[in-house]
Order: sequence, then structure tokens, then C-alpha cells
Amino acid sequence: MTAAPASADAIRLDSLRKQFGSTTVLHDIHLRAARGRFVVLLGPSGCGKSTLLRVIAGLERADGGRVVLDGRDVAELPPAARGLSMVFQSYALFPHLDVAENIVFGLRARRVAAAEREARLARAASLLGLEKLLKRRPSQLSGGQQQRVALARAIVAEAPICLMDEPLSNLDAKLRGEMRREIRALQQRLGLTMVYVTHDQAEAMSMADQVVLMRDGHIEQDATPAEIYARPASAFVASFIGTPPMSLLPLVAHAGGAGIAGLPDHLLAPASAAGALLGIRPEEVVPAEDGLPACVTAAEFLGAETVLACALGSGGALLQARIPGHHALPPGSPVRLRLPPLAHLFDANSGKRLPLPPFA
Amino acid sequence: MRTSFASRLGLTLETAAAWLLALLWAAPVLYAVWAAFHPTGYATRFELTAPLTLQNFVSAWDAAPFGRYFLNTVLLVCFVTGGQFVLCTLAAFVFARSRSRWMSALFAIVLVQLMVMPDMLIVENYRTMRALGLVDTVFGIGLPYLASAFGIFLLRQTFLQIPAELEEAARLEGCGPWAILWRLYVPLAKPTYLAYGLTSVAYHWNNFLWPLVVTNSVNTRPLTVGLAVFASTDQGIDWAIISAATLLTAAPLLLGFLLFQRQFVQSFMRAGIK
Repeated sequence: MTAAPASADAIRLDSLRKQFGSTTVLHDIHLRAARGRFVVLLGPSGCGKSTLLRVIAGLERADGGRVVLDGRDVAELPPAARGLSMVFQSYALFPHLDVAENIVFGLRARRVAAAEREARLARAASLLGLEKLLKRRPSQLSGGQQQRVALARAIVAEAPICLMDEPLSNLDAKLRGEMRREIRALQQRLGLTMVYVTHDQAEAMSMADQVVLMRDGHIEQDATPAEIYARPASAFVASFIGTPPMSLLPLVAHAGGAGIAGLPDHLLAPASAAGALLGIRPEEVVPAEDGLPACVTAAEFLGAETVLACALGSGGALLQARIPGHHALPPGSPVRLRLPPLAHLFDANSGKRLPLPPFA
Repeated sequence: MRTSFASRLGLTLETAAAWLLALLWAAPVLYAVWAAFHPTGYATRFELTAPLTLQNFVSAWDAAPFGRYFLNTVLLVCFVTGGQFVLCTLAAFVFARSRSRWMSALFAIVLVQLMVMPDMLIVENYRTMRALGLVDTVFGIGLPYLASAFGIFLLRQTFLQIPAELEEAARLEGCGPWAILWRLYVPLAKPTYLAYGLTSVAYHWNNFLWPLVVTNSVNTRPLTVGLAVFASTDQGIDWAIISAATLLTAAPLLLGFLLFQRQFVQSFMRAGIK
């Protein structure tokens, strides 16, 4: 085997495939992640993100393609030799061992000398504020504390790559926010390359350097959070990112341009865009006297703002609008909404992002 | 009112039945205690003022080589239970975690063993032991019991309940199959080992027929066989001394059960067997 060329990529996946029986769960995955990046694998359940993580970890065997970690092809290496640590969704703490023994479990298995083991335990415990809990059993800890122990066990290995499989999904909302910040800070402080699986787009957007949005075993888009928000690569991405996500309105041809069915007086795009889907971010919609006439179907008050779901025109197009303040509008109320300038167009069949047509 | 009367009557009957069964079960032990601690003359005369004595125990101990019998039984029980732990653990681990498609068929074959009465095999086992030259050895008494289908079944069920994520975490931390078995499965199955160990010890401590067949000297006889030989003819039938000897042989088991009673019952509840 020749030495792999030096590469800045901590993780490189080439044409990775994985099948369970006759169902293919990962199709031809290509992915590169630079050292020290926080990569989030995002997608709805069943999209293959957890399987992808397990293939990287070596817990599942790939059926094709290569997994290259730090320049090494790890296909033949067992999980323990791949230079990575992992935090499981259930935390996978050993119930028969106390917190200290859970944290140093891997160091014992790898026969690290006792003095160094103690030093690393002390460091990891102080990093995560576990000093007072070291003698407890996992069953005597709260969910957040268990989460910390799992994190400590992952970082005590001092592996350059850390994998996390929906680590926050068992915590309540407040704790989740705290742990999110803590994990991000820890990752940056230790310079870890993190691969983090979640189905929560808010979690992905707030933590990631690089968001990999997956669907049905494919990567839909691989970009920074800002890019994925500003330029979603497909209608699926558009409808997945954002709270609430982008509204997709079918455009039909009207005299002189394209617009919503039933609203011929309000042209939204040049005629060539007819038949496509128009993407509108709810936070960019504003109420205005000269706006499009719409009919409220539901109003959801969030505190600082209200999310209005509105029906537009005659085609049943549904638009969501996020409007500052409290607007307790009963269903059926008429409103007028002004849409932002044309920014996102998607092909109605393939869902792919379309280039914006020049205004004629 | 009538329903509450009926249910109270039912409860009373149930309690009475429980007491009756308990008394029936305890009667022989209680009688043995009475006879062993009183002089021979009181074996069938129940007077509260009867004098207490330990002489029966001394006579019993002196009358037969009980010390040697004790040693044989302890050796036998340790050998059988220890061997069962090792073999059943290894087999159960494979049956619980192997993904081979032959596993369920093989496991079914192992379970068939549960339906074969051990006493049916006495003649065949004796032949085998003779062929191996193990007749009249402690090793020979224990050998036929070493691979226990019950133990394999029990441990497999326990191992199956251990979440796969724990094993994956251990693998990621650098454990090979042996380390996973030793550091994860065995410690997590402790209650099962305790419950199974106690039943196995009790069974082999009390086992009579097979040791009777396969042993024929003082140096190998376990307690049960020794007691039977002792209680037969050469002593005459002195119930006081026989009772004392019986209590002596059963004492370690009774003591053990009293000590582990809670864990014993709990682990059987958990293992789902009765």
C-alpha cells in the first residue's frame, strides 16, 4: 500500500453505496469534510443519514465506494482503529459501571497506563463539569448529565473525528439549546472534526459549518448554512429549511407574465417562469395595502411574531407569512400581502433550482 | 355487601390454603429439627419440656465419614456449576449474537435437551463414563451435566436483552469479542448467573440417583449417597441421629437460600421463569 497523499480532508467519501437486502439506502454518496469542520447530516427520518454515519464508523459495511479518513482508506479497519469516537442517540452508557469507569472504558480496553488514564479522566470531567458525579451510576443521572458523560467518553479518546447520532433528541427543549452551544464550543475548542446527525433543521443551521441535506439515500445539497438558506438547490431543500420553511407556489401563465392561478392582475415573474414553482420565504412577506389578496386559513402565535397560513388565488396555493407582533386573525379573514422580489424558482417536476429568467 | 363478603371469604380461603401448604411442606423439616435436637426417646413424644441436646449431631458425625462426603459434594458442585458457567456463557453468546442462518435450528436442537429426563440416560451415561474410565470419580459424576440446555437458554435470553448500541459502543472503544463478552455481557447478566448458579448448586447438591449409580467408594460419594448408605441398615433406625445427619447435609443449602433469598426470587422474576 502506498502512502496516501497528504490531504486537508478529514473525511472523504467516494461513491459510497449501501444496501439492506434489495433496498438501497445510500446511493453514490460523495462527501468531503475539511479538518475541524462541524458537518451536520440533516434529513427526514429514513433518509439514510444514520446509516451513513454508521458506515463511516465502521459499524456497517459499505457495499461500494471508499471511506477515507485523514488520508487513510479505512474499508478494512475495524471501528476501533479508525481514529474516531461516537456518541449514540441512547448515549449507550454501561449501566453496570459508574461515571468514571464509563468515561475511561475505552482507555482501559486500549491499555492506557493508569497515570495517564487518571489525568485524561480528570481533564474530560472538568471540561464537562462532571467532577461531582464520577462515583454515580448512569441510572442515577438526569438525561442532561447522561449526555455529558457520553460526551466525556467520546472526547477522552482524543480521536480527531467525533460522530454523533441525534445526541440531543432525548432532551427537553431548554436543555437542548444549552447542550447545542456546549457541543459547538467543545468542538471548536478541541479542534474536532464533527459529523452530527439530526432531523432538526434549526439544530443544523445553528451548529454547522457545513450542512449535508439528505433525502432517500441521496445528498440533496451540501453547503454552508448561509448558502443552503439563501440558495436552496431544490424544492425539497427549500421546504425543509426555515421556520416555517419556504412556501412553494405554482406559477401559471397570465397575459404579460406568470403569476398565481386566479390572480391575473398580480404578475410575479416573466412569462418563461410559468409552470415552475415560486419559492417565498415566510419572513420576507409583509402585509401591505397594495399586496396580493389572500385568505387566512390558520394563525399561529409564536410570541414575537405570528405565522399566518394563507390561501392565495383559485389554485389552492398556500403561502405562509411570518409577521412581527400578535395578529389573532380568525380563519377566513382577508389580508393583503406583498411578496419579495423573485428569488427562488424550482422545476415543478424535478424539483431542481432554476436560474432566474431575465426580465423581458 | 355480598360481593365484599364473598371476596373476603375468598381471601380467607386463599390464606388458609397457603398456610396449609406451607405447613405440609415444612412438616418434615420441622420434625427433623425436633428429632435432631432431642434425645432419642423423644423422637415420637412431643413434650415441650423435653431436654435439648446436640449429642445426635456428634454421634452422626462420628458414625460416618461426613467430612469426606462434604468435601466430595463441594468439589462436585463447584466443578459442575463452574463448568456450566463457562460452557453456557460461550454458547449463549454465540446463540444471542451470531447472525448465521443456522443459529435458530441449532438452538432448537439444544432446547430439545430440555425435554429429555436426565434419569432416562443413566444407563447410557454409565457406559460412557466407563469407556472413559471415569466411574467412581467426582469428575465422572459431574461430566454429564456440564452442558446445560437450561443454562444456555437462560443466558441467551438475558444476552438478547442487552441493547446492541452498548456492544457497538464497546467495539468503538476498542473491545474485541472476548473483551465485549467479559466486560459487558457477563457483568450485565450477573443476576441471571446468581439465579442459575443457585438452582444448579441446589440441584447437584441434592442429586441422588446418578451419583448413587456411578460411585462406589467413600472417596467419591457425595452427601446424598453417603446419607442414604448411613441411614439404611447398619445404624438400625435411629430417627434422632438420621435427622441430625439430614440437617447437617441440608444446612449449607438452607443457609445459602436464606442469605440469597431476595436476590434469588428477584432474579427469577426478572428472568421470567418460575
